[in-house]
Amino acid sequence: MGAVLKVRNLCKSYGKINALKGIDFEVRKGEIFALIGPNGAGKTTTLRIVATLLSPDKGTVELMGYDVRKEPDKIRERISYLPEEAGAYKNLTGIDYLRFMASFYARDDKEVEEFIKRGEEIADLGERLKDKVGTYSKGMVRKLLLARALMIKPKLAILDEPTSGLDVINSLEVREIIKRFAKEGVSVLLSSHNMLEIEFLSDRVSIIDSGRILETGTPQELKDKYSSRNLEEVFRRIVVE
Amino acid sequence: MKKLINLLKKEIKELITIQLIASLVFTIVLFYFIGNIARSEMGKVQGAKDIYILNLDNSELSREILRDLVFANFRINLLDTKDKTIAIDNARKNNIPLLLIIPEGFADSISKFQPKEIETYVFIRSFSMGSSINSELINQIIASINNYLSDNILKTKVPNISPSILKNPIKNRGFIVVKDRIAEGSISDVNNFVSSQSIFIPIILMMVLAFSSQMVLSAIAMEKQDKTLETLLTVPISRNYIVMAKMVASGIVGLVSAGIYMIGFRFYMGSFMGNIPSSARINEVVQKLNLRFTLNSYILLGISLFLAILCALALATILGVLAEDLKSAQSASFPLMFLVLIPYFLTIISDINSFSPFLKTLVLAIPFTHPFLASQNLMLGNYSIVLYGVLYMLVVFIVLVFIAGRIFSTDRVLTMKLRFGKRLRG
Repeated sequence: MGAVLKVRNLCKSYGKINALKGIDFEVRKGEIFALIGPNGAGKTTTLRIVATLLSPDKGTVELMGYDVRKEPDKIRERISYLPEEAGAYKNLTGIDYLRFMASFYARDDKEVEEFIKRGEEIADLGERLKDKVGTYSKGMVRKLLLARALMIKPKLAILDEPTSGLDVINSLEVREIIKRFAKEGVSVLLSSHNMLEIEFLSDRVSIIDSGRILETGTPQELKDKYSSRNLEEVFRRIVVE
Repeated sequence: MKKLINLLKKEIKELITIQLIASLVFTIVLFYFIGNIARSEMGKVQGAKDIYILNLDNSELSREILRDLVFANFRINLLDTKDKTIAIDNARKNNIPLLLIIPEGFADSISKFQPKEIETYVFIRSFSMGSSINSELINQIIASINNYLSDNILKTKVPNISPSILKNPIKNRGFIVVKDRIAEGSISDVNNFVSSQSIFIPIILMMVLAFSSQMVLSAIAMEKQDKTLETLLTVPISRNYIVMAKMVASGIVGLVSAGIYMIGFRFYMGSFMGNIPSSARINEVVQKLNLRFTLNSYILLGISLFLAILCALALATILGVLAEDLKSAQSASFPLMFLVLIPYFLTIISDINSFSPFLKTLVLAIPFTHPFLASQNLMLGNYSIVLYGVLYMLVVFIVLVFIAGRIFSTDRVLTMKLRFGKRLRG
């Protein structure tokens, strides 16, 4: 399978702080690729650069051949980004929010309706979608945002802590949804602190620390290499020890 | 274009909150209520006022004075008592606002050229408009009695010459000159007339600027506070459209809000302004001096106001990027409000042309100075100054929009902050 996203020697600094010191990885079509690492490792910065929010200081990021620096508009048409701490417009109803976001990606009204229908299915909020977002619980907002991110079936879904703020049942549902969309051809780049989630979801994982990727492989490969029972142990061995 | 309209609709929906509607309704009701009270107070002031008289003289002259008071729209209430202390006590207890005591032997003293004191008592029970006007009226009455008495004396002593000539041997014939036009009249009358015609312009301008810039600041700060900005910046729409939608929506909501406030304010001011006399004489002077807005002046004034709003919106957009949340958006609006308030007050209290060249340049460098000066300059026919102002604001607007667009198209939109030192997440 060819790579949808290619990241090469990615560097980014904020003043004197070097957040990324040369990151390389690829995400293949229909693959769920996870970045795991401690706080301040550079995960969110990487996701933000791929999402065209930040510009890299050095290195290249290419999505389906489009360069993040030269053609950010082309990239935005093909991605969907779910930040860790995201919100939705409180004065809009859930359905209006989905419609508003769908209108930027759809070619015509028919496609808008198609996206909304898919979004309603993913969000699974029933009649509450007709209520204003301001009345939603944190979990409901998160599901709405995930629906927004996936309803357009992007080429690459960038999900930063996708189950953040969700309870166990909702988290399980969300993971199933992400898996389903990946099977349908959506590539996923995600970051999470939840190792169980990563192990369940990811096809491949990169362990990142202090702006550098330390290891990349499938969860099984990493477990075998570090003779560990789970990813948590792998993470501890690589990052802590 | 469809995407821009969608953005615009969203921005307007987000800005028109229940709180905004409630505050607008509350303001209208408040202004209506205050306006009604002010109007009724003014009505009381203009209507016949009760005055209580203790006439201890009871001469033909004192009765003549009472007739004069009736003529001056006072309702005379004569007190029965002959005791001054009882009269004052009675007035105090019975909510009487004005008491005038004409002393015994008043007419006699006047005829012998021995000044005699009339005593007036104004009973203050509040510091409302009515009570202060009452005391002012008393002074006018005394002046008018003095005038009446002195005229009578002069007529008796110098029957061949008019008392007014004796009292004012020098007459002044006032002329007002505007450019090549001259008209005979009083500058204060013309000033009052012109002010009554244009007093709303700076107030409207200030309110629109304040509302619109606050709206755009809030719109950007809300995106940051509600964590919606990051998502919005990753959707396939031009960043310039995002800036434009915010500016246009804020401009529309700001204009509508300011318009609603102005309706209330006008209602409130109407209770005072409705009483400014506009005589045919003043109209004639104003006409002669050509101190009126023409269609061209209105168009130029409109352009000037519009550009000032655009400048404020662009500047507020830049300041909004610096704000992290709604709270810091309030602080971010202070520099902008200063830039609006400085020319607002300067143009009201002084003539900018009298400033030193340095200070004048400084004040004129503030784009919002120009619309404040525009109404005066247009009335005086100084079109070129207004046009320079319009051009200057256009340049400032283009520069500010360029800066705002640049900020939004780079990662500065996420990294620029008012409060520094907060570590970025990795």
